[in-house]
Amino acid sequence: MTETAQHKTEHGQGGTIQLPAPTHWPIILAFGCTMAAAGLVTSVWVSVFGGVLMVSGCVGWFRQVLPHEAHESVPVVDHAVTIATSRRLVERLQIGPEQRALLPVETYPVLSGIKGGIAGGIAMILPALLYGLIAQHSIWYPVNLLGGAGATSSSITTAEIATFHWSWLLIAIVIHSITCLLVGLLYGAMLPMLPRRPVLLGGVVAPLLWTGLLHSSMGIINPALDARIHWGWFVISQVTFGVVAGLVVAREGRIRTTGRLPFFARMGIEAPGLMESNPDAGPPLPRGKENHR
Amino acid sequence: MADQTLPIGGSIDVTLARPEARTALLEWLHGWVVTVDHKRLGILYIVYGIVFLLVGGVEALAIRLQLAWPDNHFLSPELYNEMFTMHGTTMVFLVGMTIVFGFANYLVPLMIGARDMAFPRLNAFSFWMTAFGGLLLYYSFIGGFGLYGMGAAPDVGWWAYAPLTAKAFSPGHATDYWALSLIVMGFGTLGTAINVIATTLSMRCKGMTLMRMPLFVWLMLVVSALTLVTITPLTAAQIMLTIDRYLGGHFFDTQAGGSAVVWMHFFWIFGHPEVYVLVLPAFGIASEVIPVFSRKAIFGYPAMVAASVGIAFVSLGVWAHHMFTVGMTSVGNTFFVLSTMLVGIPTGIKIFNWVATVWGGKIRFKTPMLFALAFVFQFLIAGLTGIMLSVAPWDWQLHNSYFVIAHFHYVLVGAIVFNIFAGIYYWYPKATGRMLSETLGKWHFWLFLIGFHITFDTMHYVGFLGMPRSIYTYEPDRGWNHLNLIISLGGLIQGIAVLIFAWNLIHSYLRGKRAGNDPWDAWTLEWSAPSPPPAYNFATDPEVHSRRPLWDLKHPEDPDWKYE
Repeated sequence: MTETAQHKTEHGQGGTIQLPAPTHWPIILAFGCTMAAAGLVTSVWVSVFGGVLMVSGCVGWFRQVLPHEAHESVPVVDHAVTIATSRRLVERLQIGPEQRALLPVETYPVLSGIKGGIAGGIAMILPALLYGLIAQHSIWYPVNLLGGAGATSSSITTAEIATFHWSWLLIAIVIHSITCLLVGLLYGAMLPMLPRRPVLLGGVVAPLLWTGLLHSSMGIINPALDARIHWGWFVISQVTFGVVAGLVVAREGRIRTTGRLPFFARMGIEAPGLMESNPDAGPPLPRGKENHR
Repeated sequence: MADQTLPIGGSIDVTLARPEARTALLEWLHGWVVTVDHKRLGILYIVYGIVFLLVGGVEALAIRLQLAWPDNHFLSPELYNEMFTMHGTTMVFLVGMTIVFGFANYLVPLMIGARDMAFPRLNAFSFWMTAFGGLLLYYSFIGGFGLYGMGAAPDVGWWAYAPLTAKAFSPGHATDYWALSLIVMGFGTLGTAINVIATTLSMRCKGMTLMRMPLFVWLMLVVSALTLVTITPLTAAQIMLTIDRYLGGHFFDTQAGGSAVVWMHFFWIFGHPEVYVLVLPAFGIASEVIPVFSRKAIFGYPAMVAASVGIAFVSLGVWAHHMFTVGMTSVGNTFFVLSTMLVGIPTGIKIFNWVATVWGGKIRFKTPMLFALAFVFQFLIAGLTGIMLSVAPWDWQLHNSYFVIAHFHYVLVGAIVFNIFAGIYYWYPKATGRMLSETLGKWHFWLFLIGFHITFDTMHYVGFLGMPRSIYTYEPDRGWNHLNLIISLGGLIQGIAVLIFAWNLIHSYLRGKRAGNDPWDAWTLEWSAPSPPPAYNFATDPEVHSRRPLWDLKHPEDPDWKYE
């Protein structure tokens, strides 16, 4: 690394600054490398010439930097630099008493999203199992569809899907758990951005849109699975998840959105010792409506 | 005779001035040749790139003239193959890469408050390797002895698929010039990437934490890391190809146990991330230009950083979407379909954030902003056609058609070239001390925009109609005649626009309005240095407290650092 990396500051106005000295060795070395390669398609003597230049370039370069780098002193010139703006007037968003804020001003803690996802995930199991019982006389039918039967070939029979399979159950649990947690987190992040009726928008409208998107594309992605899905029951499950998750998230208190809050506060964990570790973080705002501003 | 009528002193002055002027010119040139100053090297990169932009543009126009009419013979078939090979290679390696790294060279140290790059001599070496590599490639037009005798440039396409590159199908040296020049340029590129990473990580001024770096610097850091990963397999593949051609190797020789598909994998493991190597700096330019001309801070800075890193990671796992028609397994196809679609998420975040930055701003429609805004809309369309092509069955229908050509030109021209122009209009005053003419700039913008859309919008359609890429000519009954003529006319309009741009660069350098140190009322550190900056950049080491240090100085009553 050059001396410029250390930012020498011993100069004053009218003084000098040390900078790496100009050198012709890099261009000689580069030309030598090119010639060495070009010899392959022209003449061996071109490669020999390139090799000589490479050796010269390396030797010259090393002598430039060993034992000490060559520098030149550049005199400091007094430049008249003005840092000012003619645009003094700053228009601001009207968001509260502060001049600025990160939007949204308040949000739900991350934990509330996880809780909502877990609650919604448990709630939506009921209509899914009910569908299995009523339509296929087996609670395992929807489980197996999620767990892998949908991904297999269309030759698999309905009776096979309606029977219990350990592997499909485990896969279904993993898929269901991860998806519910992620969607719950999404709810936690999205609900403050929905201006009014967050549970209606997040709990009903969003699942309907999602189901519509899935319905229109499933026939292309996986026609066999598409043929086995009962879209009416699917909508009921999705809406159940959305409403329950939305209610759980909305019941949790909001916290102020600010990057300067400690991580644990943003997580929604009440840990006063940890939260007070950052004196610039502003007032500790764990949870609860009493903290709304 | 006229001199005799002049006063004696005048005559003496004239005779003495000539050698002095010549000496001064030589010294000036010598100064550029031996320089290790990052600003001069940055300018050399960019000027080199612009010169080859004109060369590659001429090649593109030659291609379009050939295709403007059916059964046309403006070019010979052999020269046509050379033209599209050299056009692609030139635009990617000699224009895109050089200008991107030119911007990085010029701006990164200035933006982070450093005096130079971490390794100034390596920086000079890297530039000259790139420059000589490009000249070696073009020397093939004179010295290349190919299938058609002397003067044969490479003609295997910029992707150079095996087994076309084997000695049996590409005799002579034209293909070797291509491989060797890319190896030479590759080492130059690697040197610059190492330099940018070292500079960014170790030479930031006081207070410049990673999360306070300008987005352009972040993007160049990501791009440099990506370059290290992607140039390496390309260089390895070129060396393997050279071994095949000279030492009897069989890496890609399908008749001796080699595999042509291995070449495709090697090439696209480089080739697709290469698109992001080129487009991420373009994102960086847009992320600097759009806030300044919207008079708002960039929306979602942390998300922009995360999205950039995310794009780089995802881009390393999508290469085989260029190979759906090769016949991969369904698992392979599915993986590359999904991974390619995944790129849409971080890029979508970026588009959303640029729009949110503009939203509610006090927009100033100066030339840099016009180019940046056009980029946002064009890149959105490019992204959407990219998602379409990521669906394997769709790709099976349109692969190797002009739809693909239209898609990647929407990325390479609609996103990258537009932002390169935005960047040049934005930082030209810093580099030269002169403003580029706004009138000429607007002529350039509107003509280029119109020409771009005439050419590449129409190209999508001709692709839908089944016109394959790289064909020399076509029969008149295919229904492509008028569309091809329109595409060629669009290319001509773009050519005129680029000539206006080139004239603007020269004219404004000589007669442009003085810029001052901060003509755009901007916020990043480079605007606190004089225009052009002195060799040492900053007389005293700067210290920053927020992402917009100049905002803090201009608005001491309401500095950013209170809120970051």
